[in-house]
Order: sequence, then structure tokens, then C-alpha cells
Amino acid sequence: MSVEAVASAMEVEPTSPNVQMEEKRSRFETDLNRNITFLKKAVTSLETRYLHRVLRTIPSMRKRLDRSVLAKSIQLHFLPEFGDKEHLLKLLEESGVDMEVEQPLATSKGQQPVGEPEVSAYLCLLVMIYLLDSKQNAAGMALAESVSQRVVALNRRTLDPIAAKIFFYCARFYEVEGRLADIRASLMAHLRTATLRHDDELQATLLNLILRNLLHYNLYDQAQKLVSKATFPESASNSQMARYMYYQGRIKAIELDYSDAHTFLLQAQRKAPQTHATAGFHQAVQKLFVIVQLLMGEIPERSIFRQPVLRKALAPYLSITQAVRVGDLSKFQATLACHEGRFRADKTYTLILRLRHNVIKAGIRMISLSYLRIPLRDVCIKLHLDSEEDAEYIVSKAIRDGVIDATIDHERGFIQTKEVADVYATSEPQETFNQRIQFCLKLYNESVKALRFPLNAHKKDLESTNEALEREREIVNEFTRTEFKSDEESDLGEP
Amino acid sequence: MATADLHTTAQLSQALKQELDKPRANLDQCKQYLTQLKINLAQLSLLDASSASSEALALARDVLEMGAYWSIRAGDISAFERYIAQLNPFYYDVSTTQLPSSPRRYPLIGLNLLRLLTQSRIADFHTALEMIDPTELRTNQYIQHPLQLEQSLMEGSYKKVWNSRAEVPAPEYTFFMDILTSTIRNEIASCIEKAYTALPAGNLATLLFFPKADDELLQFCRERSWRIDSASRKAYFGQSDATKEGLPVDQIITQSLTYAKELEKIV
Repeated sequence: MSVEAVASAMEVEPTSPNVQMEEKRSRFETDLNRNITFLKKAVTSLETRYLHRVLRTIPSMRKRLDRSVLAKSIQLHFLPEFGDKEHLLKLLEESGVDMEVEQPLATSKGQQPVGEPEVSAYLCLLVMIYLLDSKQNAAGMALAESVSQRVVALNRRTLDPIAAKIFFYCARFYEVEGRLADIRASLMAHLRTATLRHDDELQATLLNLILRNLLHYNLYDQAQKLVSKATFPESASNSQMARYMYYQGRIKAIELDYSDAHTFLLQAQRKAPQTHATAGFHQAVQKLFVIVQLLMGEIPERSIFRQPVLRKALAPYLSITQAVRVGDLSKFQATLACHEGRFRADKTYTLILRLRHNVIKAGIRMISLSYLRIPLRDVCIKLHLDSEEDAEYIVSKAIRDGVIDATIDHERGFIQTKEVADVYATSEPQETFNQRIQFCLKLYNESVKALRFPLNAHKKDLESTNEALEREREIVNEFTRTEFKSDEESDLGEP
Repeated sequence: MATADLHTTAQLSQALKQELDKPRANLDQCKQYLTQLKINLAQLSLLDASSASSEALALARDVLEMGAYWSIRAGDISAFERYIAQLNPFYYDVSTTQLPSSPRRYPLIGLNLLRLLTQSRIADFHTALEMIDPTELRTNQYIQHPLQLEQSLMEGSYKKVWNSRAEVPAPEYTFFMDILTSTIRNEIASCIEKAYTALPAGNLATLLFFPKADDELLQFCRERSWRIDSASRKAYFGQSDATKEGLPVDQIITQSLTYAKELEKIV
């Protein structure tokens, strides 16, 4: 027994990684085959739901991508009119050592591949992902270009969601290569075509790609013009919508339109799925959101900074927030200097620079809350301002902007704070209340619109009622017939 | 001259340069040169910074830069705006290998920023700022000047704005600074109205950067309809907070009606 166990252990040990690989491979194969079936089903039933289902599995497939299985699948399903099969196989082969599936390949050669272009496009997409992961950017770029051309030329509605993904990876290749500027013109051209064809998914993806492209080069001017001219398709998927909202929020923030930026960023947060995969997106949105809130004069909630996903990424932003909240100019400058590189990488540095006067405003507000009367010189010292003259201007500007309610006595050189007015005597609470009601109503209306009803579900009911009617008619028929018959019989019986 | 070639255009550009470099340049003469040069460039299709030899591109850029400087001297702001718009592709889209960066690039960008400030186009100002290289943003004196100015304007340190007149990095900046002065004077006046009840005329003059309390100040006060008491030499500002707000009836009615309508939909 023990000897046997040892022997089997000895036997198993060297092969176990192989076995694991094999298992992984077979699992991948079943998944791939299932996806291909779904794709075919999607084409025959014209139901894009299946397509989305397939595309949703891309992240998990990406991790388990296996060359040989993919190659086999390409042999089986790839359509010759969709491109050079051999070329595709070679791309897979190049990076590999040897192809274990040489044998099945040969046998399947004789078989005529039957399938849909969707399947071929999907396989190309997987190859592209594989190339991206194995860092063969040049080859991937060439493939992406040719495939995207072909997909657009085919002009099939069932191809649209896959086309969107293909374009996404195409742009991704360019981004990795640092040649984003080169692809912009072609993206624009495709956006035009997609808009004309009412290809919502592709249109949304392309719009986002172009925006990303422009913002990468800080071309806010052009991005703003694009956003104001192009309409984002409403039926686009939530993830594209969330991206679009984020980009729009960015543009608005740069243009000092903070309240709009606030709305957009809030929507971006809500539209994005709350999973681990979207952590990066949430971090980016929150960073900008915190700054926009500060620029609007609001202080972000402390709980935002405590969330486990965000805590580390938002740490520099927390210290900025603290500086703004207390109105401590020197702390603000110190934080800014300390995390400058970080803010630059996040592209929030110029926005944070604008916060300086918010810090001063907050400081003035704090002072006016705590003192009824204070000399200008003390204000100057408390806020670390350079000169008393400037302090006077700054305070008078704060009074004009409605930050504080006070008057300056120039001759005696102090600020006199006025009595605090009752906010509840104004229409302020009503406005806030109205804003919230509007939001709730909009949410309700949108969720009603978003409800999805199964297609042709009412037909079943219709059928059953039809059936019932039919049966009723039959019964009536039967009844009249028997009556007629009996009549006849009675008639017959009479003579 | 029916058709233009590169050589004559370059000669013409030289002539313009000489004229502009004179301390007392003949601006009308320059304008004529510029018009002819622009026609030549258009015929050579060099105005849009698309593919061409680097010499030709440099020539086109030089002409446009000189045009921008000329428009400031002539005080033509809209012409300056057009020249900057035409220069932008040369500055941002053409790669540095094809066209080496111009020494006049950052002074002109800085001037453009200043122009946006004087026109109170703060959104455009920040958009333009985003396109500037981050290291230049921090170190270049031509960019730093408008940047500091904007910050001082935003926080209300008007004294700093006033002082920065003396620290202009290039003589052309003064043109815009003069325009900016009247802008901030109005800005200060609107702050003073709210922040003070009364001010001695002498102090008012210093706050508004008038050299002394004379007719100029009186004129300004009349424009803003401030009352000056000649006995105590004090200026009084009309208090505007007396306006009592009534109930926003229309707004409340429309709001309530929308609520009713929306509720109807739900129930």
C-alpha cells in the first residue's frame, strides 16, 4: 500500500503541472466552444443579448487564453473570406515553441469551415488580445487595422458589439506604442460611418476613444468642441456611458464649469459597475470628484477616503482636503509640493493650483465665524498673506462674492462681521428640497424606462387565448353537429 | 506678382523683419508687407502647417509670429487672436524634429494667455494652459507672469496685479496690462461698494490706484454714481441690500404643478 502510494506519488509529481495545464486548456476549450455556439445562436435569432454575453467573458478568457486551442478553433471556424487564416495561425505560432496540435490540424484541413463572420471576428479579437498580452504590438496593430477594416466593410448589425471591442483594442495597441495621435483621424472617419449606420455601440466606443485620445494630449479645446457637436447614443452600454461621463466631467472641470463637472462625475460613479475590475476607474473618478467638490466650496465626506479601494489612492487628496477645510495656506502649499509628481501624473495639478483661493476663502470664513471684529493685520497673519493692502482687497472681494457678510472699517482698520442671517427665512431650503425631488423623480423615470421586457412574451398569452378560442369554437361546432345529427336522425326516424 | 515662390516670399519676410525691428516702425508699411506675405503663403499652401519642408514651415511660422507682434503694436486684438489661432498648429502639431521650436513661441503663448485674461475668458485661459508643457509651465518666465496674474486676480490680491505691471517680461505685455488695469479698477470698485459704507477720498484713490484724489477720481465716482460729500471729503456708497425679496410665486406654482404631474405618473 505504502509502496504503491509512493510509486503513484512519484508518477504523479512530474506530470501534475502538465495535468493542470491540460485541465485548464480543456476548460478553456469548452468555454470557447460554448461562446462560439452562442455567437451562432445570436446570428440565427438576431438577438444581441447572446453577443453581449460572449463579450462579457472576455476578461476571464483573457487570463486563460491558450494558443493551441485557439489555433484549433481558427482551423475549424475561420472563414476564408475574412482574411488569411495562415497568417493568423502564424501570428500565434511565432511566439510559441511548438504546436502540439499539429495532428488535429492536418485532419481538419479537408473540412470546409462553415460559420458566421461573427465567429471569425471573435477569434480575431482573441488573437489580438493574445498579442497584446504577449507584447507583440506591431503585429497586433497590423492585425487590428485589417480586421477593423473588414468588419466595417461587412456592415452586419450582429457584428456591431464585436466591432466595438475590436476598435477598442486597436486603439489600445496605439496607446501602448505611444502613437495615439496617428490613429485619431481614422477613428474620426469610423465614427462618422458608425453614426450614419446608427451603430450605437460602436459610436459610443469610438467617441470615448477619441475623447481619451484628445485628453491624452491635453487637447481640451478640441475635446470640448467634439462633445458639443456629437451626440452620445442613449442606448449605449453603461460602461461606455460611465466613461463618457468621466471625460465630460474632466472637460467641464478644466473649463471651470464645476457644477456641471460635479453632475457628470457623480453619474460616472453611479453608472460604473461596482466590482473589483473597475477599481481603477473609480479611483480616477473620485480623485477628480474630490477636487471638483473642493473647487465648488464643498468639503467631501470623510467616508469617501475610508473606502478600502480608494484609501491608498486618495491619501494625497485627503491631505489637500484637510488643508482646504481648515484654510491653512502653508499646509496647502506643503502638501502640494510634497505630492506634486503624483498630482501631475493624475493630471489634477493645474486644478489643484486653482484651489489656492478657495483655501483663503475658507480661512476668511473661519475667521469671520469666530470673531465679531478683527483687525486686518491679524487676518493677514492668520492667513499667511504677504501684505496688509492685499488682505484688504481679498476680504472685500470675499464680501462681494458672498463668502462672508461683513463690512470693513478702513480708518480704524478692522473687519466688522454682521449678524448671521437666518437661512430658513430665505428660499434656500426650498431650492435644495426641489433639487432633491427632481433627482428622485428623474431616477424613477429612468428606471421605468430601463425596464426590460422579454421579447414576444405576450405572444404566449395570445397563443393560449387563441387556443382557448379555437377549442370553444370546436366545442360549439361539435355541439351544433351533434344537434344537427340528432335532428337528422330524428328526421330519419320519423318516416 | 501672379504666383509666389519661396524665394521672393523669404525676401519679403526679411524686409518686414527689418521694418519691424526699427524702433519707430512704419506700421502701415508693415501691414502691406504682411498682406502680401499672407497671399504668398496661401498660394504656397503653407498656412495650415501640413507636410512641407522644414525651411518653408519655419518661414511661414516666422511671418505669422511677426504678424502677431505687429497686431499688438497696432493695438488690433482680433487680428492678434487670428494670428495665434494660425500659429497653434505650428506650435503643437508639427513635431520638433521637423521644425525646431521658435524662441518667440513662449512669449507669444504668454501674450495670448494675457489676452484671454483681459477678455475675462477664464475657461479658455485654463484650456490653453493645459496644452503647455508642464516643465515650461513652472519655469518659463513668459508663462509664469500671466499664471501668477490669474492667481492674484482670483484671490483678489489686486495690489500684486498692479505691481506686476512693473515686472513684465517683454515690452509687448504692457499693452495688455494697460487694458487689465481698467478691468481690475472696475473689479475693485464693485468690491468696495459692498465692503465699505464710506471711505475718505484719499484712501479711495489709493485703493483704486489713482495717483491722487483729483478730477479723474471724481469722474470715476460719477460713473458709478457714488455720492461724494465735499465737506468731509468722503465717498458714500449707495446701500443696495434694501431690496426686499417677495415670494417667488411663479416658481412655486410651476414646481408644485410638476410634482403633481410626476406623482400622477407614478400612482
